[in-house]
Amino acid sequence: MRRGNARDHRPTVIVAALGSAFGVVLLLVTQSLGVALANDEFVRDSGSGALLLSIVALVFLVIAVYVGAVVTTNTVATVIAGRTRTIALVRLIGSSAKAERRLVAAEGLRSGLIGSVIGVIAGVAIAAGAMRVAVVTGLVPELDYPLLDPVIGLPFAMVVLTTWVASWVGTRRVLDVTPLQAVSAAEESRREHAVRRTGRTAWAVVLFTIGTLLLALGMIVGLFNPLGVLIGVVGGMLSFTGVVLGAELVMPPALRLVGRMLGRGPTARLAAANAVRYPERSTRTTVGLVIAVTLVTMFAVTMESFRALALAAAAESPGSFAGMDEALSVAVGVFSTLIGFSAVVAATGMINNLSLSVLQRQRELGLLRALGFTSSQVRGMIVAEAAQLSVTAVVVGLALGIGYGWAGAQSLLGSFSGEPAIIAPTVPWALVAVLAGVAALLTLVASIAPSHRATRVTPVAALAAN
Amino acid sequence: MAYNITQDGFVARVENLSKSYGTGDGAVSALTDVSIGLRHGEFTAIMGPSGSGKSTLMHIMAGLDSPTSGRAWLGDTEISGLDDTQLTILRRRRVGFVFQSFNLVPTLDVTSNIRLPFELDGRRPSAGESEWIDQLVQSLGLAARLTHRPSELSGGQQQRVAIARALATSPNLIFADEPTGNLDSRTSREVLTLLATASREYEQSIAMVTHDPIAASYADRILFLADGRVVDDVVSSGAGGMSAEEISRYMLSAEAAA
Ligand SMILES: Nc1ncnc2c1ncn2[C@@H]1O[C@H](COP(=O)(O)OP(=O)(O)O)[C@@H](O)[C@H]1O
Ligand SMILES: [Mg+2]
Repeated sequence: MRRGNARDHRPTVIVAALGSAFGVVLLLVTQSLGVALANDEFVRDSGSGALLLSIVALVFLVIAVYVGAVVTTNTVATVIAGRTRTIALVRLIGSSAKAERRLVAAEGLRSGLIGSVIGVIAGVAIAAGAMRVAVVTGLVPELDYPLLDPVIGLPFAMVVLTTWVASWVGTRRVLDVTPLQAVSAAEESRREHAVRRTGRTAWAVVLFTIGTLLLALGMIVGLFNPLGVLIGVVGGMLSFTGVVLGAELVMPPALRLVGRMLGRGPTARLAAANAVRYPERSTRTTVGLVIAVTLVTMFAVTMESFRALALAAAAESPGSFAGMDEALSVAVGVFSTLIGFSAVVAATGMINNLSLSVLQRQRELGLLRALGFTSSQVRGMIVAEAAQLSVTAVVVGLALGIGYGWAGAQSLLGSFSGEPAIIAPTVPWALVAVLAGVAALLTLVASIAPSHRATRVTPVAALAAN
Repeated sequence: MAYNITQDGFVARVENLSKSYGTGDGAVSALTDVSIGLRHGEFTAIMGPSGSGKSTLMHIMAGLDSPTSGRAWLGDTEISGLDDTQLTILRRRRVGFVFQSFNLVPTLDVTSNIRLPFELDGRRPSAGESEWIDQLVQSLGLAARLTHRPSELSGGQQQRVAIARALATSPNLIFADEPTGNLDSRTSREVLTLLATASREYEQSIAMVTHDPIAASYADRILFLADGRVVDDVVSSGAGGMSAEEISRYMLSAEAAA
């Protein structure tokens, strides 16, 4: 039995499709490049290059799938929040919480399946098109490239599985819905309060602390030996996992801070309050973008530091670093694009989330309109909410990325000149400018649909909504 | 605020008002040729069975909805010709609302909810207005609740906050749509007494939509609606006024006749 409407799951389908399409394209293209490398008369790659490529591809796939899972968990949780009354009603009539949860999770699994199938088909088509273009333009030789390789089953399985798990995690709130909520008069009497979170917080703190200590150790070792970066990588992964796990300690205060900067008017104040109304929800809404921005920034900062050093060295001994600059720029570009894809997934999640949460606030918007909020004030409020979410995610990601990037550069390059040296942290201003643009664009895109909908509805209709 | 009252002493008035939903065969006529005026300082109840058009009438009089035909005034301002923004500003400054439920903004505490109409108008309450708000908070027994969120209040307390907010701007007219619809009988009596007192002591004009005879008996005047038409207009309170039983009996006979 279906309780909600299909529209609720559209975001999940989209995210699953994006994830699996990305994975399929990535794996097929790297496989094809492997084939090309093996046939190249200069390289004659015996497979180690292709293996390396596959590993790199897998890393990016995992990042994208992970971000997708976070987004889906959040979407499902938001959907549940909107269905609380319906669920409470069927609970009142006698359905068990577990049965209700299974139902919603099954909807998630179905959405994951549909999305993944769409994604795989689209991915194969895109990969085929890309290889065709590469052949036609002479980038790669005309060869028999694998397109229906079994490897495409991997992203498919990963996405279906993570969507299911994410739905399951996201439906945890169903268990909190009491039959009483169907009859209680107070709207939103229950907030998504923080419970059962202590264990998670402890893990977050422990991982972050150990990770940061390892990062520091890596930086110290790096003063004498570039292998310090290996310690640093482990430390970075641990501490960043800590940050993501404990994002609920980081994001709400950051959102409040940015919210305060929006100003003191009623529009800004209401927007600021809305963005932290459900700290858990806002955290998950933004964390995907934080992850993506952190990774992009980290790569950019590390590469930039490396390039600065290489250029300095090249100035001293001309010739030895020829071509280095271009190679690095290409590497930064490719990495940024690949991680940027996770940002797209995260942004999709954010857009959907804002849409859903505005939809769920119809009555409140009707009340505000009745009391004297003009429709342009309503629009302003939604834009401010979107801005608050995007700006916060980008700023936090940027700060983390610069931190990790600097740690990486220091542990990798501290001994570069032959003697221990402190590498000054670089701020990639070009990237900052791009990210500012991304934040502005995202704000715009995320607020178009909800503000259109919110201002089209008359106060009377909105007041009558549930 | 005499300048907002028409020469006949009406704070709000409608003339030959009709409202229908939908077109063609499926059209529902919610109001048919309604002409009424609400007098300054009066507590008027708009009564009638469910579906008789009470809410529709209130929405049009308050500038929340537009009529299919006919005219409406708030004070001297004809509102049937105003655009959305003009109507919004008018509501903000001259009308107060108390709804059946979901009256308060969940993210704001009691103080902010009460001050919201001023905020929306881009100003702070003047010294006099602040004093008035403090007085309201005291007399409505909300002093200990000022920092609470709506979710931390009982239904009756939420309605009292809504009443405080509606009274805070001293609007020309307060519209209350089934304000006691979600309350138990004791809390209902409290809320109704508050409204009646506000009308008597502060000359606050109030229009209350209700289908509850007991609620209507608190008003000075009762307008009966049936099938989208005004069928009667009676004095309620004071000597010669109708008691709740009489109102109830009247309603039953009206429904039987319909
Ligand atoms: N948005 C609408 N669309 C169609 N019909 C409506 C709408 N709103 C109200 N009605 C109809 O108009 C009539 C009056 O409704 P309403 O004013 O809400 O009555 P009351 O408040 O007295 O219960 C009813 O028959 C109702 O079904
Ligand atoms: Mg009604």
